[in-house]
Order: sequence, then C-alpha cells, then structure tokens
Amino acid sequence: MLNIHNLSAKIDKKSILNGLSLKIKPGEVHAIMGPNGSGKSTLANILSGKKGYDISGKVSYENNDLFNLAIEERAHKGLFLAFQYPLEIPGVNTSNFLKTSLNAIRKSKGQKELDALEFLKIVKKKASELKIDEKILNRQLNVGFSGGEKKKNEILQMSLIEPKMAILDETDSGLDIDALKIVAKGVNALRGKERSFLIITHYQRLLDYIKPDFVHVLMNGKIAKSGCMELAEELEKTGYEKI
Amino acid sequence: MIENLKKTFESFNKKFISWPNNNRDKFFNKFMKMGFPNNKIEDWKFSNFNNFVSKNFKSLNTNFENLTSFKFDKYVNSFDHNKIIFINGEFKDKNFGNEEKEKFVCSDIKSFGEHLRLTIEDECENSLNLLNNAFYLDGLSLIIEKEYEFKKPLIIYNVFKTKKENNFFNQKIKIKVGENSKIDILLLNINLGSEPIFLNIYNNISLKKDAIVKLYSSSDLGEKDIFYNFNSVDVLNNSIFENFIFSNSANFYKNEIKCSLNEKYSSSFINGAIFSQNEQTHEIKSRIEHNDENTKSYQKIKSVLDKKSKSVFQGKIFVSSKAQKTDGYQLSKAILLDKESEFDSKPELEIYADDVKCSHGSTSGNLDEDAIFYLMSRGLSEFEAKKLLIKGFLNDAVETITNNEIRKYFSSKIESKINEYR
Ligand SMILES: Nc1ncnc2c1ncn2[C@@H]1O[C@H](COP(=O)(O)OP(=O)(O)OP(=O)(O)O)[C@@H](O)[C@H]1O
Ligand SMILES: [Mg+2]
Repeated sequence: MLNIHNLSAKIDKKSILNGLSLKIKPGEVHAIMGPNGSGKSTLANILSGKKGYDISGKVSYENNDLFNLAIEERAHKGLFLAFQYPLEIPGVNTSNFLKTSLNAIRKSKGQKELDALEFLKIVKKKASELKIDEKILNRQLNVGFSGGEKKKNEILQMSLIEPKMAILDETDSGLDIDALKIVAKGVNALRGKERSFLIITHYQRLLDYIKPDFVHVLMNGKIAKSGCMELAEELEKTGYEKI
Repeated sequence: MIENLKKTFESFNKKFISWPNNNRDKFFNKFMKMGFPNNKIEDWKFSNFNNFVSKNFKSLNTNFENLTSFKFDKYVNSFDHNKIIFINGEFKDKNFGNEEKEKFVCSDIKSFGEHLRLTIEDECENSLNLLNNAFYLDGLSLIIEKEYEFKKPLIIYNVFKTKKENNFFNQKIKIKVGENSKIDILLLNINLGSEPIFLNIYNNISLKKDAIVKLYSSSDLGEKDIFYNFNSVDVLNNSIFENFIFSNSANFYKNEIKCSLNEKYSSSFINGAIFSQNEQTHEIKSRIEHNDENTKSYQKIKSVLDKKSKSVFQGKIFVSSKAQKTDGYQLSKAILLDKESEFDSKPELEIYADDVKCSHGSTSGNLDEDAIFYLMSRGLSEFEAKKLLIKGFLNDAVETITNNEIRKYFSSKIESKINEYR
C-alpha cells in the first residue's frame, strides 16, 4: 500500500527526517510514537503533499510514485490525513465543505455526485454514529469548535470519504474518554483487508482500543525501534530515553 | 473632455432650465472651476478620476428627450418584493403590491421636484455632487409616514441600455422615513447594453426617531462604466441605518457615504464586499459622524482583488465633543490574489469626546497557504480550494445583512460571481 524508503526532509536546511523507511501493507494498522518535535507531523504532512520541504528518498503508494501525485490526487486515490491541528476556515459552512470534498472525491472515481438531500442523509447518519452534535454541521468550518469537536470532525470526514490509507495525527489528543472510544470505533469500523492506517499518538490508551499490528518509535528522524503492542506498553512505563 | 461637457451642458440647460431645478448653471459653473476630482484631493488621493473619464469616454452626453425605451423583465425571483423601475435614468414604473398606499408617497422627481431643492452649501466641495445638481432630471422621492413597516422589501431596478448620444446619467434618490417606520431597499444598477455609461447617483436618506432603513446595493455594470454613488444619511433618536454594498462590476466604482448619527442611541452599520478584477478600481469611502451620546457605528469591508485591480477603503469615524459613550468599530480586510493588484486603506479616527470606545483595523495579505493545503488534502483542486476560501472570506461581510432574503440573494450572487471567476 505505502512504501517509504529512505525518506529525508529538511526545512530551511534544518534536518527533520533522516532516512526513514516504513512499509505498510493493505489491511495493516501501524502506530507511530515519538517525542515532541521528532517529525511525526512532518512525515504525515509530506505524505499528504504539503509543500515547503526539501525532500529526498522514495515513497510509493499503490505502485504510484507518491511525489508525482498532486495533493488532491492523493486524496482522490484514497489517502487521508486527519490533521493534528485542523484549520479554522471562516465563512465556509461545514456541511457545504464536507459535501464539496466528498463529491470531489466521488467525481474523481467516476461515481455519481451526491445531491444535497442524499448527502444530508449520509452525513446525519455518520454524525450521529460519532455522537457529533448536528448543529456543528451548520457552523463555519472548525471556527470556534472545541478541541474535541475539531478532532471528531476529522473523523467524520474520514468516515464519509472511506479512505484506503488513513493517517491520524494525534487524533486522540484532546478527546475525552467517551470520544476516544467513539473514534476508535470509527477506525475499527473502517478496518478491512484493503484499508490501512497509520496512527500517530502519544498515548497507549487509543492503541488499547485499536490494537495496531505494529508500533514504531520515531526518533532522530528515523524509525528507531519497531515492535507490536508490547512496545507501546513499554514506552508508557519507561519513556523514550532508554531507546 | 471638460470643454465638450460644457457644450453638453449648454444645450441641456436650454431645454431643462426650470425643470425641476433652476439653479443648474450655478452648479455647473462651480463644477467648471473645480473640474473632475484628481488625486491631489485628499478624498481622491488613491485614484485619478480624470483618467477614468478620459480613458472610457470620448464625450459625455445627455439626451433625455429621445430615450430609447426597452422592456426589462429580469426581475429577482427568489423573493417577493415591491418594485420601482428606472429605464435609462427615467422613472418608468412602480408596483407596491398590497402595501398600504396611504402610508407613503412614492413618485418620480420630474413631476414632483419642488421639495427636492437642495442646499448647495452642504455638498459644495464635491464636484461630482455639483455635476449631479447641474444635470439631474429624474429620480425617486419616497416619503414614508410614521408607524409604517413595509411588508416586503423594495427593489429599485435602475436599468440602462443606451447609445453614445446618451451616456451620462445623473439621478437623485430621496427617502424620508417617519417615526417608527421601516423599509428594506435593494438598489440594483444594471447596464444591459454595450455602450459605456457614466452613472452619478445622489442619495439622500433621513430617518426620524425609532425608524429602520436597510439599504443594500449591487450592480451589474459594464467593464468601461463609471459609477459614483453618494449617500447622505441622517439618523435621529434610536434609529438604525443598515447598509451593504457588493462591488464587483464597472471600471470605476466609488461608493461614498456620509452618515450623521444626530441623536442619542442612533446607529449605523455599513458593510461591504468588494471583488475587483480586470483593472477595475473600486472604492468605498465613509464618514460616520457621531454627534450625540450613546451612538454606535459598525463597519466591515472585505475585499478580494485580482488581475491588476485596485480597491480602496477610506473610513473615517468622527466623534463630536458631545458624543460621549460613542461605540465605533471599523474593520477592513483584503486578500490580494495577484502581485499587480493594489489595496489601499486609510482608516481615520477624529475624536473630541473623552468617554468613547472606538477601534479600527486593517489587514491585507494572501490566501492562507495552510488552509489551501487543508482543503486540497480533502480532494479539492487548488483552484476550487481558493474559490471556497474567497467565498468564505466575502461571506463574512454578507453575514452582516439582517434581512434573510436579501442575505441569501447576495450570498448566491457572490457565489455565482466566484463560480464565473477564472
Ligand atoms: N515550518 C517549519 N519551520 C521550521 N521548523 C519546523 C517547521 N515545521 C516543523 N518544524 C520543526 O520540525 C520538527 C518536527 O516537527 P513536527 O511537527 O513534525 O513534530 P511532531 O513529532 O509532530 O511533534 P508533536 O509530538 O509535538 O506533534 C520540530 O522541531 C519543529 O519545530
Ligand atoms: Mg505533531
């Protein structure tokens, strides 16, 4: 699905990623942990196509050279990033945005675009599954949303779009315990043979619900250690110093 | 240009010397001394108006008596409304549905001009107002009794389709609103023809106590048209004046407003959205005078500029020494989509009272790259993402419109303008 080979990235000559390699097969769930500032979000941003990095290395996504795909093409081909800090976009109605996004992706796949009514039905159902207050759908995108509401809104988008490769960047930070379970449920519901996840987190708790296949530690710009759930448990006890 | 205008005036004045205004030459002579505004004048310092006139017009002509009349029927159909129709500057028709006719007098100015006599002292420093005084023939007079709330909004369709011999239009709109009365008005200026027009409108609006006037304005003018719209507004005790302008057409468009909050608890809301393109120049100039205690003013102007265009916001809040507890707010924000566009802003506060709350702010910049990335990561192309952000940015000003039907009208109007945008 996603094959990252020897990826390095710099910003303003400052090296952030340093020969990172990671292979995610269809159906696998990988978790990445790592200290603040170790480059987890940078990795996620680069995978979704954010500009401004000086990049070397190779990333292939479903047999495409990822770097040859424009940002929106990556989204069309099923790559999704739930942002660590979802942006507030004043003046843009949330529901309208969700519909525009979903239809852009459907259109790229040759599927029929949804009309307002069809969309409303789906979005209301998904919102209620995620226990999202419908009212936020009629507000400006993320504007004045609480931290948790912003994160849930990302998960709502994920469940609408049903991506093949979803990257969740600290979606659990700022969520209350109930919301955490709901998000985990959302992820688990999408899990399948053809779908993969890369879950960036600081806490074992989310992983307890999701049960990733692999856990990696990102340090000094590369994967410093890989393992399974036990690694997350170990990190919770000992921290990153011993690695 | 000026010499040619003199000829135009002389033949015009022979025909219309006393109808309804017999001071035309006084105004015209005063205009001749001043000429068209140029950028040495403080109020016009960001654009040389002269250049716009000479660039777009070989000559300015008025030919009121041989108007080519035509049928107009592209009415707004998204909501029920009362109508007034001007065709090539002439009052043609009105339809007030089932409003209570004894509560107001609505007429043209040709036949009802006398009470419109102006005090020149008032606007004597403004050469385009002088020109309006010299050349106007028609317009609207709407006088509303006390205690009447219009059931429906009024749309004034000001429609043009004209020839070279008739390209210079001066109109006056005078609206007096009685105590505790209310009206919502949408002024639409539309040029259906391909000949450029120079449109010069003078609006005079007065609100008695506890009255509400909402005046919205939008134009579909041609790419060589010039439009100068001057509003003089007087607001008395506890009255509210709300104004919204969407500016997106005409080569040069300046909307100027002088709003005097003359009695306690009066307030004004002056908001606008500018989307300028194709070397257009769009200006909004406001002067809000707080002349009594506890008066409130609010202004929000959002501009998006592209393709070598220019937009200007000159906003002044004046607070007299008597106007304690004034609340004045002004914000102007601009987004520049290309490097050759220019946004100028001149916010001013002139305050003579000590217990006031006034603030102003002005920012300009580019679209937020991170927001574009966010939207693109959700499948939108870069252009779609930009359009959505532009719409959102302008919508913030549209949100200030308190008439729901008219807010929706502007929102979809702006949406379709952005969809046309390439
Ligand atoms: N635009 C930028 N300009 C300069 N430095 C940057 C920029 N973006 C990121 N960095 C730096 O790159 C490093 C990695 O940042 P990144 O956001 O990827 O960390 P992270 O692992 O996601 O941290 P956290 O756990 O706190 O979210 C940090 O030192 C950060 O300051
Ligand atoms: Mg991060």
